[in-house]
Amino acid sequence: MLLHLLVLAPFVAAVLMAATSKEDPKSSSRLAFLFGYAFVALSIALIASGNQATEAIEWFHIPGAKGSVYYYLYSHGLGAWMVLLSTSLSLVALMTARNTLDTNYRNFAIGIFALMGAMNGTFLAADAVLFFFFFEAMVIPAAILIAAYGGKERTKAAMTFAIYTLVGSAPMMVALWYLVTVADNSLVLSLAVALQNLDPAMQSTLLACFLLAFMVKTPIFPFHGWQAITYAEAPAPLSAILTGAMSKAGVFGFIAWILPIFPLSMEWVDAMMWLGLLTAVYGAMLAFRAMDGKKLLAYSSMGHLGLAVAGVFSLSESMLPAVLVLLVAHGLSAGAQFYLMGIAERFAGTRDIEQLGGLAKRNPVFGSLFGFVAVLSLAVPGTAGFVGEFTVLMSLWDMGPLPALVAGLCLILSAAYMLRFVQKVIFGTPARQYEDGKRMTALEGSSIGVMGVLLLVFGMHPAFITNALQLFDENAVQEMNKVSHPETAPVESSTVEAPADVVDDATADENVAAVAQPMTEEDLRQLDSNLKANGFSDEERASLIAQLKAMSESEVAEAPEQNEATANEEASENE
Amino acid sequence: MTNLPLWIIPLFPLLGTILLGTVAVVSSGSKKGPSEGFVGALSVLFPALSFVSVVLLAFGMPEEGIRQTLCNWIDIPMLKVNIGFLFDGLSRVMLLFVTGIGSLIALYSIGYMHGDRGFTRFFAYINLFLFSMIVLVLSDSLLLTFLGWEGVGLCSYLLIGFWNHDLNNCKAANKAFIVNRVGDIGFLLGMLCLATLGGSAILNYDALNKFIEMLIAGGHVELATPIIAIAGLLFFVGCTGKSAQIPLLTWLPDAMAGPTPVSALIHAATMVTSGVYLLARLSRMFSVIPEVLMIVLIVGMLTAFWAAVAGLFQNDIKKVLAYSTISQLGYMFMAAGASAYDASIFHVFTHAFFKAALFLGAGAVIHALAGEQDMRRMGGLIKKTPVTACVMIFAFLAIIGFPGFAGFWSKDLILERLYTNAPFGEFFYGVGLLTAVITAVYMGRLIIMTFFGEYRGPKEKEAHIHEAPACMLFPMVILAVGAVFAGYLWADSLGIKFFEGTLAPVVGVAQDFVVGKLAVAHVNPMAFACFGTAAALLGMFIAYAIYGTKRLPRLHAKWGSAPEGFKADWTFFFDYIHSIFIVMFKAAAFVADVFVDKVLQAIQWTIGAIAEIVGDGVSSFQARKVRVQLTLSLVGLVALTAVVLLTGGLF
Amino acid sequence: MELQPIFIQMLALLLFAIGLATALARRNVFFVLMGIELALNAVNLSFVGFAKTLPAAESVAGQIVPLFSIAVAAAEACVGLALVILIFRNRESVDSDNYSNMKG
Repeated sequence: MLLHLLVLAPFVAAVLMAATSKEDPKSSSRLAFLFGYAFVALSIALIASGNQATEAIEWFHIPGAKGSVYYYLYSHGLGAWMVLLSTSLSLVALMTARNTLDTNYRNFAIGIFALMGAMNGTFLAADAVLFFFFFEAMVIPAAILIAAYGGKERTKAAMTFAIYTLVGSAPMMVALWYLVTVADNSLVLSLAVALQNLDPAMQSTLLACFLLAFMVKTPIFPFHGWQAITYAEAPAPLSAILTGAMSKAGVFGFIAWILPIFPLSMEWVDAMMWLGLLTAVYGAMLAFRAMDGKKLLAYSSMGHLGLAVAGVFSLSESMLPAVLVLLVAHGLSAGAQFYLMGIAERFAGTRDIEQLGGLAKRNPVFGSLFGFVAVLSLAVPGTAGFVGEFTVLMSLWDMGPLPALVAGLCLILSAAYMLRFVQKVIFGTPARQYEDGKRMTALEGSSIGVMGVLLLVFGMHPAFITNALQLFDENAVQEMNKVSHPETAPVESSTVEAPADVVDDATADENVAAVAQPMTEEDLRQLDSNLKANGFSDEERASLIAQLKAMSESEVAEAPEQNEATANEEASENE
Repeated sequence: MTNLPLWIIPLFPLLGTILLGTVAVVSSGSKKGPSEGFVGALSVLFPALSFVSVVLLAFGMPEEGIRQTLCNWIDIPMLKVNIGFLFDGLSRVMLLFVTGIGSLIALYSIGYMHGDRGFTRFFAYINLFLFSMIVLVLSDSLLLTFLGWEGVGLCSYLLIGFWNHDLNNCKAANKAFIVNRVGDIGFLLGMLCLATLGGSAILNYDALNKFIEMLIAGGHVELATPIIAIAGLLFFVGCTGKSAQIPLLTWLPDAMAGPTPVSALIHAATMVTSGVYLLARLSRMFSVIPEVLMIVLIVGMLTAFWAAVAGLFQNDIKKVLAYSTISQLGYMFMAAGASAYDASIFHVFTHAFFKAALFLGAGAVIHALAGEQDMRRMGGLIKKTPVTACVMIFAFLAIIGFPGFAGFWSKDLILERLYTNAPFGEFFYGVGLLTAVITAVYMGRLIIMTFFGEYRGPKEKEAHIHEAPACMLFPMVILAVGAVFAGYLWADSLGIKFFEGTLAPVVGVAQDFVVGKLAVAHVNPMAFACFGTAAALLGMFIAYAIYGTKRLPRLHAKWGSAPEGFKADWTFFFDYIHSIFIVMFKAAAFVADVFVDKVLQAIQWTIGAIAEIVGDGVSSFQARKVRVQLTLSLVGLVALTAVVLLTGGLF
Repeated sequence: MELQPIFIQMLALLLFAIGLATALARRNVFFVLMGIELALNAVNLSFVGFAKTLPAAESVAGQIVPLFSIAVAAAEACVGLALVILIFRNRESVDSDNYSNMKG
C-alpha cells in the first residue's frame, strides 16, 4: 500500500494541485506543503517498515515477449532511501520556490509532484520495463520545468537535457526489448537467467547499452555534456532535486540493475571503476575553474557521483552500505547547497561567483548556514559525507592502493574548490553595488538547517542508514520466483543462483550484535587472507591466528555484560 | 572520584559550542549583539568544567588507564568502529594542558576580543576546537582520533579566517586547510593500510599494540614490516601536515592572520602538537620500523634548523613566534625519531606553557599598540607594560633553555637522548645544539626589539600605550609561572622523574624495544646541562651584541605601514615546491576545461547539428498543400490495402 | 421491383466518391468539411444497406451503428467547425492551401 501510495499518489497530487488557483500562490503553496509533508512521512514509514513488495499485477504484453510486463513494486533499503531523498528534496524545493517564483507557483508544484512520482517509480520498480518507463518519465516534467522556469538559456538547456538523456537511454530500450524476448518475463531474476544463456558478445553489447543509459544519467565522464548547462539554467530548487535525487537514478541503476543481472567480467569492472575515478578528478578540476556558482556545484556533484560509481564497481563486501551512505550524504548536502545558491542568486541578482562576496556580512544567518553546509559537503569526520567517502575509499583500497590514492586526491581537490567557492561567495567584500533581493526566510533556513543536522546525525550514527540494508533478500527472491513460475512455487529458488552478486548482497549484511568484540571471526578471516597475500606460510598464519583468538577471547570474557548490553540495545533499536 | 564517565570531558565544550553557536546565529541579525559578559562567562565556564573533570579523573586514574566504550559508531561489513575513550598517562598529560590552557586562553580572549562583531562566534569556534582536540587525544581508536584531527583542522580554518572580510585572511585559512588536508589524506590512507593488515578492528590502539606484540612474539615482524612501514610513513605525512614539518610547513606562518589568542591556543600550544601526540600514541608500531623513525629524525632536524634560521629574519612579532614554534616542533619530532617519546611529550608540555605565554604576551603588546605587529615600530615597552614584559621575559628564558626554567629541562633531555639513543647521535646532537644557539639569538632579538631601547613607532600612538586589562594579564601570569616551574616535573639532573613515570605505561615498551638494542654511551648528564646552558648564554650574547648595543634606526617611511608580509618569508622554498604542484593542477584543470570539455561539447553539438541538417533535408519532402497531403495519404492507404489483399498479409 | 441491396451499395459508393472528391479537390475548408460529412453518410448508408440483407433479428446491429456514427459525426462537425473558425481568425482565410505551417 505504501508503495502504491508513494508511486501513484504524487500524480494524483499533481492533478489535485491543478484545482487550486493560479493567481493565489498562498493557498496553492499550502496545499503543496501539505502533500509534501505527507510524502516525506510516507517515505519515512517505508524505510521503517523494511523490505516489502506489492502484488504483481499484469500490466501489458509487449509484442514478441514471452511473458507480460508487471506493475510490480519492490522496496529495498537502497530504493527506500532514494525515495526519501526524492520526497524530502521535493518538499524543500517547494518551500524555497515559494519565495523565488511568485507567479504560477501552482504549475511549478504540479511539475515537482509529477517528477517526484516518476522518481519514486524508478527507485521502487521491480520490473525492468516498469523501471524503464519511469526512468524515461522523469525526464519530461523536469524538462518542462526547466523550459518554463529556467534562466536565460532555458530553452537550450531543456532541449539539451531532454534529448541527451532520452537518446542516451534509447539503446537501453532496444536492449531491454531484446532481453524480454528471450527472458521469461522482465523481472530481475528472469533477466539474469536469460543473460547467462546468451553468448558473451551479445552480453557485452547489451551491457554496453545499459551502461550508456546510466552513465548519461549519472553522468560519467565523456557523457556529462548536458549536466552543467542544465543544472545552471534550471531554477535552483529544481537543480537540487535533479542532482540530489534524479542523478541518483544512474548510480541506482548500476547497483540495482546492472550488478544483479549482468555477469560482469573483470575488464568491465575495472574500466567502470577507473571511469568513475576519472569523473571524480575531472569534475573536481572543472569545479575549480567554474565561474558560475551553479555550474561549480554541478561539477562538484559530478565528482562525488563519480566517486560513488567507482565505489560501486570496487565490488567489495561493504560496497553497498558505503555507496548508500555516500549517496544519501551527497543528496542532502548538494541539495542544500543548490538551494542556498538559489537564495544567494535571489539576494544578489547574480550567480557569477566573482560578482558575489561579502554575503556573510550582509546576511549573517545565510552566511553561517552557507558555511555550515559547505563544511558538511567537505567530508569532515562526523558528517555523513565522511562515513560515505571513507568507506568508499576503503572499498577502493581493496582494489589496490592506486585507486584509493586517486580518490584521496579527489578529497583534497574537493576541499580546494569548495573553500574557493565559500570564500568567493560569502567572504570578502561585495564586488559591486546592488539592491538586496529577498532574504532567506525562516522557513527556508530551518528546512535547509534540518538537512544539515540530518547529515551530522547520519555521520555520528550511520546505522540509521546501513541497518537492515539488503538488496534482494530470500523473501524477495522467492516471491519473484513465484511470479515467474506460479505453478511450481518456492522449490525452485535453488535454481536461480545465477548472479554471484545477488547472493553476495544477501549475505553481506549479517549479525549486527558482534560489534562489541574486539576481533570477530570475520576479522580473523580477513586477517588470514591478508597475511596469505603478504607471503606468510601456512604454519605461521595458523599460529598467529591462534594467538589472536586466544587474546580476543580473554578480552571478551572480561567484558561479557557490556557485550550483552550493547546487543540488547541494538535489538531494541532494530525494532 | 573515578566514577565520572569519560564522555563528560568532551561533552562540556560540545554543549558550549551548540549553545554559543545558537546564540551567535540568533543574535547575528541584531545590531548590538548579546551581552559580552554573559557570553564570556559561558565560554570560559565550559572549558573550565571539562578541566575540572579532567583533574578529578587524573587523580583517580589507575596505572593502566581507563577505557570506556560509549556506543557503536560505524557498523558495516568491512568497518566496525566504536566510539570509545582511552584515558591513560599520555592522554592525561595532553588533556590537562589542553583543557587548562584552553580555559586560560578563553579567559584571555574575553579581553582581547572585546567589542568585536563576531564575539560570540569566536567563542563558539574556540569551544568547538576544544571539543575536537579533546576527542583527538581521548579517543581509543585511530578513526575517532581522525575525527578530532580533521575537526581541529576545520576550527583552525575557521579561526584563521575569522576576520573574513579581508580576503588575505581567507586565503591563509584556505591554505592552512588544504595543506592540512594533504596530511589528513596521508593519515586516512595510513588507516586503510593498517586495515588491510588486520581488518578494521586493528584501528583500535590496544588492538594495534597487541597485534604488533604478537608479530614480535611470533617472529613475523619482517614479513609485515613493508606494510607497516608504508602505514608509518603515511601517518608521518599526516603528522607533518598537522605539526607543520617539512615539507608541509608553509601554512603555519600564514596562519598568524588569525586573532592572537587563536595563535596561542591552536598554532602553538595544542593543535600543532597533535602530530607529536600521534607519534607517541603509535610508538609501539613505530618501534618495529626504525627506517621510518630515521626519516622522522632527519625531518625533525631539518625543520628545527630551517625554521630557526627563518625566524632570524622576521619583522612581524607573531611570525617570529610562528617560526619558533615550527622549530620547537622540530625538536619534538627529533626526540620522537630517536624513540624518546617521553622526552618529546615532555617538551610538548613545557612548550605549551612558555609558547602560549609568549603568544599571549605578543597579543598584549599588539593590543597595547592598537594592532601594530611590526617589531621595528616597537621598542622600550618595558616601561609602559611591565607585567607583559616580565611574562615574556620569563617565557623567553624558558624557550632558550636558561638553567632552571622549563625549557631547560625538556630541551636538555631531548638533546641528551639524541646523543645517546640515535644513530649518528653526535651529529644530531650538534645540530640540535646549534639550533638552540640560533633560538636564543632570534628570541633575544624579539625581546630586545620589543621591550628595550626606545619606542620607534609614530609619536601620536605613544600616549595610548597601556597595560592589558586584568582578565588578560591573569592567564599570562599563570602561564609564566608554568613556564618557570613546569620543568620540575622531570628534572633529570635533580633526580625528579615524575613525568617519565606517568608516561612509562604508554611509551615505555616501545622505547625499551628500540633503545634496548643500542649500546648506550654513558656520559655524565651534567655535561649536557653545561653545554645547553652555554648554548643559551652564547645565543643571548650574540643577540645582545647585534641588536642590543647599536640603536636600531627609526622606521623608514618606505617600509609601509602594514606588517611585512602575508607572504611567508623563508618558507619560500617550500612555497615554491607547493606552487609547482598547484600550477600542475591548474594546468591540468585548464586543459580539462578549455580543451577536453570543449572538444566533448563540440562533438555533442556536431551530432545535434547533423540530426538537424538531416531533418531539414527530410522536411523538404513534406508536401506543401493540405489537399495534396491528404491525397497522398489516401493513395498510401489504398496501396497498403492492395498489398495486403494481394499478398495475403505481411506476416 | 424490390430494392436490391447492390443498388444501395452503388449509391453509397457514389456518394462516398463525390464526398472524397470534394474533400480533395476543393480549396475552401467548408467544402472540405462538407465532403467529409458526405463520405461519412455514405458509409452510414452502406451499413444500413448491408443490414437489410440480414435476417431481421441480426439486422438490428447494422441499424444501430449508423445511429452512433451520426451522433459522432455531429460532434465531429462541431469540433471541425470550431477549428475552422479558429484557424480563420488566425489566418484570415478559408483557403486550405494557405494552411502550410506544417512545412518544416
